[in-house]
Amino acid sequence: MHKLYSNKWVIFSLVLPGLLTFVIAILAPIILSVFYSLTDYSGLGEATVTGIQNYKALLHDSVFWTALRNSLLLAIGFVAIQHPIAVYVAVKLDRLQGKAEGFLRCVYFIPNVISVAVIAYLWKFIYNPNFGLLQKILEFFGYDGTFNALSSGSAIWAVLVVLIWHGFGWGMLIYYTGIKNIDPVVYEAAKIDGATEGQAFLHITLPLMKPVIKYNVTLAVISALKQMETVYLLTNGGPGNETQFLGTYLYKQAFGSFKYGYGNAISVVFIAICLLSTVILNKVFEDRSERREGKRLAKAAKKAKS
Amino acid sequence: MKKVFSIILCALMLLTCLAACAKEQGQQTQSSPDSTTVPADNDATAPADNQADQEQDAEPVTIKVFSNLTDRTSGQGLIEQTLFDNYMTEHPNVTIQVEALDDESYKTKFKAYASGSSMPDLVNIWCSPSFLDEVIAANVLAPLNAADYADYGFADGSLAGVTYDGQLYGLPRNTDVLGFYYNKDMFAQYNLEVPTTWAELLTVCQTLKDNDVSAIAMDGQDGWPLTHFTNCMAGTILGADTYDVMLNSVKNGDYSDPAWNTVITAASENAALLFQPGFETTDYGTAMNLFINGQAAMFFMGSWEMSMSTDFPVGHFTMPDVEGDDQGVIGAYNGGGYAVSADSKVKEEAIALLNYMFLPENWSKLSWENGVCMSAQDFSAYLTGNESDLQKEIIANLNNASGITGMTYNDLGSSEYKTVCETSTIEVLSGMITVERYFEALAGVR
Amino acid sequence: MQRQRKKRSLKQVLGFIPMILLAVIQLFPLIWLVDFSLCKSNQLFTSGILVWPESLQWGNYAKAITGSNFLHYLGNSILINALAVILVVLISVMAAFACTRMHWRFKGLVSMLLMMGLMIPIHATLLPNYMIFDRVGVLDTIFALLIPYVAFSLPQGFFLTSSYMDSVPKELEEAAIMDGCGIYRTLVVIVLPMMKSSLTTVAIMTYLNNWNEFLMAMTFLSSPDWKTLPFAILEFTGQYSSDYAVQFAVMTLSALPAIIIYILLNKHITKGVAMGAVKG
Repeated sequence: MHKLYSNKWVIFSLVLPGLLTFVIAILAPIILSVFYSLTDYSGLGEATVTGIQNYKALLHDSVFWTALRNSLLLAIGFVAIQHPIAVYVAVKLDRLQGKAEGFLRCVYFIPNVISVAVIAYLWKFIYNPNFGLLQKILEFFGYDGTFNALSSGSAIWAVLVVLIWHGFGWGMLIYYTGIKNIDPVVYEAAKIDGATEGQAFLHITLPLMKPVIKYNVTLAVISALKQMETVYLLTNGGPGNETQFLGTYLYKQAFGSFKYGYGNAISVVFIAICLLSTVILNKVFEDRSERREGKRLAKAAKKAKS
Repeated sequence: MKKVFSIILCALMLLTCLAACAKEQGQQTQSSPDSTTVPADNDATAPADNQADQEQDAEPVTIKVFSNLTDRTSGQGLIEQTLFDNYMTEHPNVTIQVEALDDESYKTKFKAYASGSSMPDLVNIWCSPSFLDEVIAANVLAPLNAADYADYGFADGSLAGVTYDGQLYGLPRNTDVLGFYYNKDMFAQYNLEVPTTWAELLTVCQTLKDNDVSAIAMDGQDGWPLTHFTNCMAGTILGADTYDVMLNSVKNGDYSDPAWNTVITAASENAALLFQPGFETTDYGTAMNLFINGQAAMFFMGSWEMSMSTDFPVGHFTMPDVEGDDQGVIGAYNGGGYAVSADSKVKEEAIALLNYMFLPENWSKLSWENGVCMSAQDFSAYLTGNESDLQKEIIANLNNASGITGMTYNDLGSSEYKTVCETSTIEVLSGMITVERYFEALAGVR
Repeated sequence: MQRQRKKRSLKQVLGFIPMILLAVIQLFPLIWLVDFSLCKSNQLFTSGILVWPESLQWGNYAKAITGSNFLHYLGNSILINALAVILVVLISVMAAFACTRMHWRFKGLVSMLLMMGLMIPIHATLLPNYMIFDRVGVLDTIFALLIPYVAFSLPQGFFLTSSYMDSVPKELEEAAIMDGCGIYRTLVVIVLPMMKSSLTTVAIMTYLNNWNEFLMAMTFLSSPDWKTLPFAILEFTGQYSSDYAVQFAVMTLSALPAIIIYILLNKHITKGVAMGAVKG
């Protein structure tokens, strides 16, 4: 049997399709990207190798930094705005029993399944200062002027609102299932000990949800970095370059300005940032849990000694 | 065991069936133009019958067309589609496959095509350096024989933008006159006169604003309409020199001509008064809809929109005089056009189709008679006197002009210049950057 | 005791209000969308937040369906997604089996490589992929979408299946192999059925990943043969740029299939997301 489990040909045939798609659709393009990022290729004609010229230019490109800042803002928006609300709602939802629970859960998640194309166009209409929903609601509450959410200054916030709104259901659902997985017996024990709801939440729910929070936060940060399509359709990075994200900016450079080499340099940095932040996030979460685990063990050891 | 395999087998069969169905459906949608063919003009069908007979045995040819005219049921798109349909009736062996995308997606996709090897056969182009320079240099477009078009009646200078080193690479579609469409009912309602000076234009806008109506509907998200607007302003100051001054500025990064500062300052100071709220994030369709639905009194755009349907009478005027020494030069150029891909496998057939489209009795006649646009060719033979008032006004404005500005400055540099220029114009007009910073940004790219 | 219960229910009702408010926020834009898709275009410019359509303009929907390739694109979307789901499930089970159960030297490395795709933004590969696909000649075919869709859903699928496989008892399959059942057959007959629920999760995650993608589709496809649902909207806004009501109808129609699928699979999706979280 052991022989069968280490038959090279069988292993090879099982892994091949997976590796092949990885090589064709991910690895090869990345290698090509790295190569072109070292050239001044315009997308047409010949490419000359210019070394790290593109990367140097990138460092001095203010739009690139704007894009990076926007990705970071979005990540913070997810973690600091969307997730607390999501946790709150998840806790409340867990308390509701019966039909309301299922119905609300369904409602919260619905925007998430709708195509970004619909979402982007819809919000373009909502934000339109001449006839949009937002303007009408403001007028309904007695606002006199015209408010253009997508104008300079507020545009990035308007984009964040859409993305937070769109992704809310997903984040909420993950927390919700995390809470559902907590054994109700733990709460009952806490209640008997006289813990209030708030205390129970702080000392039971949150700690027990740690792996879920870790997963959810990592997911949010990565998806914030990857953001592209909604913004591309909603503002296309505008007004000016205010709402540019890494994805939209590389698209604009490569296809809008015939700076294919430069666009690829952005791609490479884009990938590097995504990889790096995953590693960092993993480290951050791991360290803490390990440290705590270590403390716990030390305590236990002390107890055992005494 | 058997069960599982048979289930998988069934699933696979079902999928292949589905795939086949989808494929079939796809082909149906492609050939659907056949079923909606508009009958060809009478004078055109007579010789065509012979041709059809001759070509009965000809090998089937598929010509792929890449177009920026997404609306195939009205305006220029309808004219283009009608010509294609007629051509297919006359040449039964030819199938014309159209892929249409809106301007911005079109340009992106065109560049993708240009970097690969699958460029469609007949493509839309913009007859400007920003679009063509890099494309021509990379030998993407097939050279055309200029002598073939001697009798086509192309207006003087209209082929200049598509000629490189004396070699012709494409044909311009239209003469595009830039100006303001205005809602005549609304002007009457507020006792407004057509403005002839910049000050009068501002007064008109102020009156409209006081009455809670947006003045000029502007597509500010795309950037190019704003540069067209400022270019027209410069045209009233610089007159016949406009094009040379602009070209010099772009090529040498020198924006010291006082007209530049006057224009950009005047435009950015008054943008909030001139355009609808949020113009910098309004796209083309929305801007036009604001005008059509009576939410804005004017719409600044090219003459290619002359066929837009409104339920109020529409008038047309060109950029009012900015400095008070009217030179009578109006904003106009030859913008869109067609070219044939150099790598096309059906190059001869594609060129034949192109030539057919631009026979004077085709594009020129159809587009004018249907009130869609003015071709780049001499269409005076097709003036009937039955044109709409709007058409007459635009023609009058063109005829009264002492000259035209030619291609606008955003299109005179490289494609990178175009991107930077348009983005910066949005920024300066919406107050995000100063006028000085604007010229710095422009001078930074060529 | 009773009074206390009443008090709590009042408190509960108060706590319920933010929940309702949030539900309204999540849903209202969509209600607005449906509302105006049933109106005449120019009613959008009236001042009310919602408009009661005097007569329901079902014609907008008729126009939306007949005037576009809506049904064709819907068919394409379903087909491409179905194929992507099947491929992802098959490939991830195979790879996960090899990497968790079988003995070979490079399995750690291969698992890591396969998982790396999780962190790589799909759009960063857009430019080079275009060139590769152009060379290979798959542009404007179903493969141009299928390859990246499968490749970028595979990491998640592989991750979920392999972590689930760890928790499935080995005894059964080992017994099967003892009985002389080959690896492939064991995989199909024993392992696949045992992993049904986690494979549902993989299928759902893959579907959610790819159903709405359009940038790849826009760049890689040119003829209408394989275009997917988001194109119905993109093309329509060009074609009916002045007819807002019809645009709204197309948006509603495009959103509908996903919503229906979600409501039908609601339980499985919730479970799927949960599993992703727990395994993560």
